[in-house]
This record gives sequence, C-alpha cells and structure tokens, in this order.
Amino acid sequence: MSFLKTLWGLLFRLFPCPTKVGLRPIGNPGPDSPVLVTCNFDLTVKRLSRLLQGQDLWLLVGESKGVNVWCAAGGEEFNTHSVVSVVKTSGIADKVSHRTLILPPLGAPGVKKSEVEKQTGWKVKWGPVWAEDIPRYLADNCKRDEPMKRVTYNLKERLDTGLSCLFPFYLFFALVFFLFFSTQLTTYLVVGALSFFAFMSLVPWLPGERGITKALFVDALLLAILLTLEFITDSDANPFRAQLVIAMIMIPVYGLELGGLASTMPSDLDPFLARFGVKAIGNVEFAGTTRTELLNRFKILTYDREKCIGCRSCSEICPQGVWGIDEEKRAMFVNKDACTACVGCITQCPSAAITAKKPS
Amino acid sequence: MFSYVFMKILEMRPRSYDQQMDKISRGRVRAAKEAVAGEVPKGSHVLEIGCGTGELAGLMIQRDATVEGFDLSPSMIQTAKERIETENLSDKFSVSQMGVDGMDRFRDEQFDAIVSTLVFSELSDDERRFALKQAKRILKPGGIIIIADEVVPKTFFRKILHTVIRLPMLAVTYLVSSSSTRPIPDLSGELARAGFSIQKEIRSHGDSFAMTVGIKEKGEK
Ligand SMILES: C[S@@+](CC[C@H](N)C(=O)[O-])C[C@H]1O[C@@H](n2cnc3c(N)ncnc32)[C@H](O)[C@@H]1O
Repeated sequence: MSFLKTLWGLLFRLFPCPTKVGLRPIGNPGPDSPVLVTCNFDLTVKRLSRLLQGQDLWLLVGESKGVNVWCAAGGEEFNTHSVVSVVKTSGIADKVSHRTLILPPLGAPGVKKSEVEKQTGWKVKWGPVWAEDIPRYLADNCKRDEPMKRVTYNLKERLDTGLSCLFPFYLFFALVFFLFFSTQLTTYLVVGALSFFAFMSLVPWLPGERGITKALFVDALLLAILLTLEFITDSDANPFRAQLVIAMIMIPVYGLELGGLASTMPSDLDPFLARFGVKAIGNVEFAGTTRTELLNRFKILTYDREKCIGCRSCSEICPQGVWGIDEEKRAMFVNKDACTACVGCITQCPSAAITAKKPS
Repeated sequence: MFSYVFMKILEMRPRSYDQQMDKISRGRVRAAKEAVAGEVPKGSHVLEIGCGTGELAGLMIQRDATVEGFDLSPSMIQTAKERIETENLSDKFSVSQMGVDGMDRFRDEQFDAIVSTLVFSELSDDERRFALKQAKRILKPGGIIIIADEVVPKTFFRKILHTVIRLPMLAVTYLVSSSSTRPIPDLSGELARAGFSIQKEIRSHGDSFAMTVGIKEKGEK
C-alpha cells in the first residue's frame, strides 16, 4: 500500500497525495534537536525521512493538501497558516527548549516568514533548497552556502520533475496508440520514453526561452532528417519513419508542459488557456493569481528602491539569484531575466518594495 | 448524509454555500443546525468555531444568544459580514478571520456555550485536540459544547457500507477541490479525553452523522 502510494506520488505529482499532518520525530530527538517544517505531500515526507536517516530532529508536517512544497506555496495550499497551525497545535513547544523553526525556502511564495514569527513567537530560518543538503546544513550550524539557496534544475532534477509531471501525458498517448494504432504501440512506448530522456537531457542547450520553442527547434531538426531519409531511400522503405514521426509528436507535448513543471521557465500552456478563459483545472491555476499574471506576462516584477529597508529577504529567498545588494545595502536587480515568477520575494518583502504591476 | 463529501466543493463559493448545501443534503443540514441551536440555553454568550456564512449563528440569535464566530476562510468571513450588515446583527454577532490555532487568544471562562457544525471533519488530529483543550479552558463551569459532524459509523457493516457509498463522491470532490473531509472516528471519545462529560450523542443517517453534547462540570478547570 505504502509502495503504491510512493509510485503514485512519483508518477502523478499533478494529483495531490496527502499524508498525516503533525509532528514526526526522526531518530531520537531531544529538547535541543532542530525543528524542520515540511508539507504533507506523501512523497516529500517519505523522501525526507529517508534522507534524514541518522539525524535526530523533529519534523513538523504542515497542511499543503498533499501537494509538494514549491507547487503548494505557489498555489497557496502551503501558507502561513499551515505553518502556524502545526507549530501551535502539535505541542512541539513542550518538546524542545529552543524556539527556532527551519523552513523550506521553496515555501517562501506562500509562507510569510515575518508573519509566522509574529503569530508563533518562534524565530524562522530558511533551510537549504534541497533536502540532500540538510545534514550538511545542520552540521554547519544552519549556515547556507550559495548552492543551498538556488535551484539549478540539473539533469537529475529535470528527470525527477519531468517524470512526475509528464508521465500522465505519456500514458495518455499510450492509450491513444493502443486504441487506434496498436501495431505501433511498442514503437511508441520505446520512442516516447527515449524522446523524453533525450529532450530533458538537452533542454539547457537548446535555443529559445520557452519549452515549446526548444521543442519546435528539435522538431525542425527531426523533420530535416526525416525528409533526407525519405529522399535517399526508396519510397516506403524509410526504416525510421514511424520513430521520427512519433518523436516529432511527443517532443512538443513534453516541451509545452516543460515551463509549467520546471518552474524555472515561463509556461506556454498557461497564457494560452488563460486567453480562452480557462482559469484553473482542479487546483492548478492559470490566471488571476500574482504568479500567473507574472508568468503570462500580464504583469511585471517591479521594485521601488525608496521603500527598501535593506532586510535582504529577497536576495536570501530568490531561488534564481535575481536579487543582489547595492553599496548602500539596499536590494537591486542583478539578474532580472532569470526570474521564474515564484513570487517568493513579493511575499517576503516586509515593506512592499517589491510588487507585481501592469507594465505602463 | 453522504453528500457531505461534496461540501469542499461548495465551500469554494461561500455566497451560495448555504443554499447549495441545503439542496444536496435535502434540508438536513438546516435541520441539524436547528437541533444544535435548540441545545443552546436561551440568552447564552456563544463561541462558534468555523462559523462559515453565519447561518447557525442566525438561528441562535433568534433564541436570544450573542455569538462570536471565527472562520479560517476570508471569503466565508466576508459573506458572514454581509449577513451582519443586511440582517442588522452587529450588536449580536461578531466575526473574525482565524483558525482554531488562534483560540488561545480568548480569556478563561468566557463563554456559556461553544458550537461547531461540519468543521471538525476538516481539522487535523492535532487541531481537534488543541481546539477541545482551548474550548474547555474558555467555557464557564457548567457550560456546554455541541459538535455536529460527519462521523465514522460504529458497526463493521455500516462502516463498509459508508466507505463504499462515499468513495465515488470522494473521487469527484478530490478532482474538483483536491481536498476532502474525513469523518471523525471517535468524536465523543475525543470530547471525553479533553475533560468534558458527555451529556448525549445523537446519531443519524445510517450512523454517519452525530451531534454530541458535552458539559464542563462545575469545579472543573
Ligand atoms: C463545511 S464548512 C461549515 C460552515 C458552517 N459551520 C456550517 O455548518 O455551515 C467548514 C468551515 O470550516 C472552516 N475551517 C476549516 N478549517 C478551519 C480551521 N482550521 N479553523 C477554523 N475554521 C476552519 C472552513 O473555512 C469552512 O468555512
């Protein structure tokens, strides 16, 4: 049962999969052990428990409606109340003598640090982006080096998020082939999977900003190959025709979803759906939230230097390194183009210096 | 009352929540609220946990109660405020937006009664325990707590039946609102463990719904 749940969580991350909210001891924690907060997505909690083997700490599992931290914080399922509620009702205050919470920084879009501190009386520290780094972070007195603050979206991460979000599409096309082109089903299963791995591996080096542009570039190459083969082989003898056509169908499918799932690229699908008035499917929103307005380019990230109080919340929290600090210790854009509209900086900024505005 | 499963969908639209809820439950939600209001002694100072749009508060006010309500959902609170405005209830009914985790802000022994309908099934185990502990603290001695909610039936056969009928509805709710409610396994047990004496428990609808009344005995803290 637990295995099935893990598999479901891995392959169908688009669908929520909740686990029990509350306090979970990891190892043999005591009054001085650190307190970490996470979401109630089954897979996240399982992975954390595995990665944290050998540590002694308290894990507070907060309500995120069974969605992973990043998606839930962007979609507002994982919010300030999720954290405040589990801190106050789980009885953790009676178990430890300190008052420091370590929060997942990818939760920053939904969980406002200053508000959690105000409502609970606990001090909040941001942990590392990747759970793998938690042991090193704890051993190093909760200090974060630069890589711990950033999302790099390397191959392993691409395959992991890609697999979970694209698998339903892969299955859907498998069904289509099963029903209508059953002779090509095996070819599809192999080529569809290979295209996925190849495309995901090549993504960073493909030209274009968006997933669909990158996919269309690959399609153009494949088309050239296809035509060449058609040309040099006798009619009907092209041995790779089916494979190439299948790849040319599947790669744009993967590419189209890429932005949305990677969260480091603007999505192509969202503005398209938004324009047709589809604002949400289930809990996945396409329009109307700050994040989607930014993603769809209906609004842009704006910064009012006059209002900045120099607290560094933005540069601490941005997973893309958009923010830096100038000589007068105020925030400044250093890499605005890298912004992926996670809205973490907007949520955290205590003086409303960072906002999303309609371009004038 | 299996249709409670759909509640999560209706909650997404507070303005039509009461009517729709009444429709899918064929008037039973309203009846349940009337039963709860009937248990509240006349003229009580009442706290309502998760007051929603304030329908139950309205019924209690007709029985001379003054009600303080809170709810986690900003849009529910907005709708409740509109009710206060249109029905001129401002000196009888006040609301605030917070979760049960905020109940520690109330003073000791402040209320004659605490009520809550269809909220506990949305709370985590910890939240329920916390809410009941706080309820005990802020009730006056002799005060009562009334909770009406979806519960897990007691007998094995009913349990199975309940699960089977509920399952397809659960799927629909999950797809639309990606959340669900969880029937409470042992409501009166939880009340008893929080230190209340159980005065009565009325079960209905194939044993899947319960109204439980607990009392904070005089001399209890
Ligand atoms: C099904 S509605 C019931 C509303 C009202 N009591 C009624 O019977 O019509 C459940 C309500 O519980 C509220 N709720 C959910 N979790 C809560 C929490 N942690 N604290 C307070 N209210 C909460 C929701 O916002 C929602 O309004």
